[in-house]
Amino acid sequence: MSAVLEVRDLHVEFAGAEAVAGVGFELAAGETLGIVGESGSGKSTTALALLRMLPAGGRISVGSVLLDGQDLATLPEPALRAVRGRRIAMIFQDPMSSLNPVLTVGRQLDEALRAHGSDGRAKRAARAVELLDLVGIPDAARRLRDHPHQFSGGQRQRVMIALALAGDPDVLVADEPTTALDPTVQQQILRLLERINRERGTALVLISHDLGVIAQTCRRVLVMHQGRVVEHGPTEEVLTRPRHTYTARLLAAVPRLDEPSSAAAHATPAGDPLLTVSGLRGTYGPRRRPVTALDGVDLVLRPGETLGLVGESGSGKSTLARALVRAHPPTAGDIRYRGEDLAVSRAARREIQMVFQDPYSSLNPRMTVGQILAEPLIAHGLGDRAERSPRVAELLRQVGLDPASADRHPRAFSGGQRQRIGIARALAPRPSVLICDEPVSALDVSVQAQMLDLLAGLQRDLGLAILFIAHDLAVVRQVSHRIAVMHQGRIVETGPADQIVTDPGHPYTAALLAAVPHLTTRSTV
Amino acid sequence: MTTLAVRLPLPAGLRTVRGATGITLVGAVVLAGLLAPVLTGTDPTAQSSLALAGPSGNHLFGTDDLGRDLFSRVLYGIRTDLLIGLTAVPAGALSGCALALLSGLSRWADLAVQRVFDLLLAFPGLILALAVTAVLGPGRWPVIIVIALAEIPGFGRQLRAGILVQREREYALAARVGGASRLRVLLRHVLPNAVDPLIVQSAVALSLAVFIEGAMSFLGVGVRPPEPSLGGILSQSTAYLATHPAFAAAPLIAVTALVLGLTLIAEALNEGIRR
Repeated sequence: MSAVLEVRDLHVEFAGAEAVAGVGFELAAGETLGIVGESGSGKSTTALALLRMLPAGGRISVGSVLLDGQDLATLPEPALRAVRGRRIAMIFQDPMSSLNPVLTVGRQLDEALRAHGSDGRAKRAARAVELLDLVGIPDAARRLRDHPHQFSGGQRQRVMIALALAGDPDVLVADEPTTALDPTVQQQILRLLERINRERGTALVLISHDLGVIAQTCRRVLVMHQGRVVEHGPTEEVLTRPRHTYTARLLAAVPRLDEPSSAAAHATPAGDPLLTVSGLRGTYGPRRRPVTALDGVDLVLRPGETLGLVGESGSGKSTLARALVRAHPPTAGDIRYRGEDLAVSRAARREIQMVFQDPYSSLNPRMTVGQILAEPLIAHGLGDRAERSPRVAELLRQVGLDPASADRHPRAFSGGQRQRIGIARALAPRPSVLICDEPVSALDVSVQAQMLDLLAGLQRDLGLAILFIAHDLAVVRQVSHRIAVMHQGRIVETGPADQIVTDPGHPYTAALLAAVPHLTTRSTV
Repeated sequence: MTTLAVRLPLPAGLRTVRGATGITLVGAVVLAGLLAPVLTGTDPTAQSSLALAGPSGNHLFGTDDLGRDLFSRVLYGIRTDLLIGLTAVPAGALSGCALALLSGLSRWADLAVQRVFDLLLAFPGLILALAVTAVLGPGRWPVIIVIALAEIPGFGRQLRAGILVQREREYALAARVGGASRLRVLLRHVLPNAVDPLIVQSAVALSLAVFIEGAMSFLGVGVRPPEPSLGGILSQSTAYLATHPAFAAAPLIAVTALVLGLTLIAEALNEGIRR
């Protein structure tokens, strides 16, 4: 088989700093190649460099990208435009922002087809229907007239794939195509990519941080670390017998759905319920057409217990979290902390604190870490100025950071360190309940593992009750005593963590579990 | 509100060619105004028999129709303009920001404040100027008041937009969950993150101030003669534009340099912030 794409010793520089240092691989026609790595490994930069679409400041300093013998790294811009889309196309991570919101999907497909020289309006329209049909959008002919907002997230990603296929490319580069999607939708998109690869012979380069996604779709895998390829080989071999220590570490850090919960080893729930939620309802939007986000939620949380809350986007998880910290007061039902109504008691509200998903936007960029941690203390009138600074130092130590870093701004810290700061802030007013809304989903797997250890340790030391909200079932099983499954504003199932995963009682739970991408290699096989 | 002393992106934006040109232009005009007593010994209001003379060694820019030295009048005119701008723009900015903060606190206040802004924006500037002057009489204060009123909606809308964006960020939510009151979240968390665009707005506002002063004095409802102002001198010169064009040159150059310089600075700052 001849190589359709050959990358030789590729180096990419950003203002003198090397982001990609000597990447090389070959891709045969109709082959599938996965590129896996953590954030900052240079995997996305490599993907963009293949089409020479690097952001401002970035340039290919050394190396070549040969597409059927033609070097894209040195090709003049007009000639390159003719290659992009027709020979090699790309799909991006965010289907929400990658489509033009003011044009109909039909127009956008038509434009892409025209750019590739398909002639005749009627012919192009027929081809557009064919493409939408190919990517599995039902009733394609009618939907051409719809705007992007009328499609769901998964459907938009399908439209993006249809756009990429408009020029019938030989190579399709997909940069984290399913990261923004729910597991069940992710599953569908991955199957679609597989089918396109199989039926049309389009070679696929799939970039992902998720080993499971790569394992399921790609026959070969490239492991990247700090701009270099550390390992390269058939997926099965790399996953079962990693030769490089980095790959081994990466594999070890991936939470596995088939591992039993380790929550009981850290803390044993005991005593009367701390938090009792009953009949919670929440609606938002215009009064005439309200959207129901919470539709009668009941739950109980005991001291020292971790309750995992799983569900797909739009299931009401985040609305529930925000209702619990009174950020969006619910429309009906009540939340009690040790029998005290949260709507009345300020002291009870202090007991419930929250850890946010995004470690970048959840810390005020204008304040130092010390100021950020002191804020809740000031707000609740805990201690005076002299007492606050030792408390801040204590909090930083608790989350494994150097107390001397209190004077620095959040931008001086990495994502994982910022998340530690977020946890320290939540611990500041000495709460007994921690609401964690997707606390690890924005982090790399190795950092994720450290964060889970930290939370477990804090639970053991402080006897915290934790409501752990996440979409990743493997992570939730690992940390939770019990799991509650949320669907369309209701909790459809609650039970011991291991039982929910091994023996789901509700069909929705079973569907969620089936969608989790497995590493092809299970240690027991 | 000590946190208002924020880290500004000033140097980054101004280190461009555009920013440097702006600073040079504005700096030259401002220095000329500040050093007026040093640069000229002539009283800007002293009349002489030598009327409408062209530029000469004694009178660098010549003299006006009453025989007053134009060099001195332009220098002192710059002072008047700067004084007006530096009083009116901060006054307008502070009022606009105060109103924006008020509208950030409650929905009803927001509704009321927005309608006030609409009213100010919809009101023709010229009629506003005439109305204020009709009440207060011509002079320096009506000019300051008109400029301040004209600047309020610009600053108010800009800050309100910033507040609306920043308020939805997770750190603002985190502050609320941490127990901070609405006012504290607004002043300590949201405001410092929303003020950046106002720096640009200030530069735009200053150039607008020079413009409005010129227009009002030109129409005879601004700074009262014999006190010199750039707009006033320009207005005086129009009668002699055909016969003595040099009369209009000096005030025009000063106004143009000031407005152009401020606009360049605003653009450079804007680019610096967006980067």
